[in-house]
Amino acid sequence: MIDLARISEESPLLDEKTKETLKGVFSKLDKEIVIKSVVDLQEEKSAEMASFLKGIMAFSHRIHLELYEPSEGSGLEMDTSHLPATGLYRGSAYAGVAFHGVPGGKEINSFVIGIYNLAGPGQELPKSTVKKIEKIQRPVSVKICVSLACHHCPGVVIACQRIAMLNPLVKAEMYDANLYPDLVKAYQIERVPLVILNDRDTYVGPRSIEDVTQLCRDAH
Amino acid sequence: MGNLIGKEVEEFKVWAYRMGKFAEIAKEDLLGHWSVLFFYPADFTFVCPTELGDLQDFYEEFEEIGCQIYSVSEDTHFVHKAWADASDTIGRIQYTMLGDPAGVLASQFGVLDEEEGQAFRGTFILNPEGKVRAYEIHDMGIGRNGAELLRKVQAAQFVEEHGDQVCPAKWKPGEKTLTPSLDLVGLL
Repeated sequence: MIDLARISEESPLLDEKTKETLKGVFSKLDKEIVIKSVVDLQEEKSAEMASFLKGIMAFSHRIHLELYEPSEGSGLEMDTSHLPATGLYRGSAYAGVAFHGVPGGKEINSFVIGIYNLAGPGQELPKSTVKKIEKIQRPVSVKICVSLACHHCPGVVIACQRIAMLNPLVKAEMYDANLYPDLVKAYQIERVPLVILNDRDTYVGPRSIEDVTQLCRDAH
Repeated sequence: MGNLIGKEVEEFKVWAYRMGKFAEIAKEDLLGHWSVLFFYPADFTFVCPTELGDLQDFYEEFEEIGCQIYSVSEDTHFVHKAWADASDTIGRIQYTMLGDPAGVLASQFGVLDEEEGQAFRGTFILNPEGKVRAYEIHDMGIGRNGAELLRKVQAAQFVEEHGDQVCPAKWKPGEKTLTPSLDLVGLL
């Protein structure tokens, strides 16, 4: 594990206004959360992510941070082939939610809401929706490919990841497609948000949590 | 002539050449499916066969997405045939080649060079209602790219179906991370 003392908590991604907002949101956290991130500190994006996360950690004593070298990533359950890879955990248990890349731009919203939904009171959700989510009976891998400038993307990421938090059979991982040309090539990504189910079926455009739930229930 | 986005193709009737045969083509023939009007200056020139051949290379893919290609020059359909007979590149073309000697179509779309009697290299993507959804106009010597045109037609079809609910992605490896744009209004 990487010694956090090596990492600066001065992230250029966190300006004063953002810090103030985050303090307010994270003051509502009432459960412990562990953020585990696999970073290659030789790479620019990983170094950015490490200091961003250390900056985030400072806003709540409920947020714990563990940084891992690429060679230490196995066993974390999330995809560690696309770095930086950052997962949310309830203690040592993977919550099925991860972010690949640095959640800057619009994607800061899905990252913050992800933490809020897992460690805080969470967004309100109709009971009927929760029941439908719990009825997903097969494992579903959800990749959400985004660009950081896309204002439609965070909503889809939040929806998919909320489903994953409520049903352990679902894993929902966000990818900043700009960083991963292998995904752009494999799925011929020209528009975002792009939801990929089980590495096979693709769906472009905004989706409500109800829509994604249905897709997951129908997924093979 | 102002912006042509949304312009509906006007009534017209011209003669065309396609794979050894002549036929009259009118506005109605462009309706009910996606169309590309691909203007070029003249038959028997150098850049034209290059880009017309490039377009033929993608013709099957255009057909698969329900899009018909119509090349247009200010030559007659007879000249098109003569060119097809004389050139291997043109001879293998499967899409329809419109003859527009009176400049009816080129005038309609603002690409007629009246002094030369030739068309600028204009490309117009029309939806099934015959309305322009995307276009580009190049000066005479600047060629176009069939693959890029196919991508544009696909994008136009996607937007027609889904509206503007997606963000087009232009991937630029190595771009800087965007400054966070935190806006939690309505999310908490």
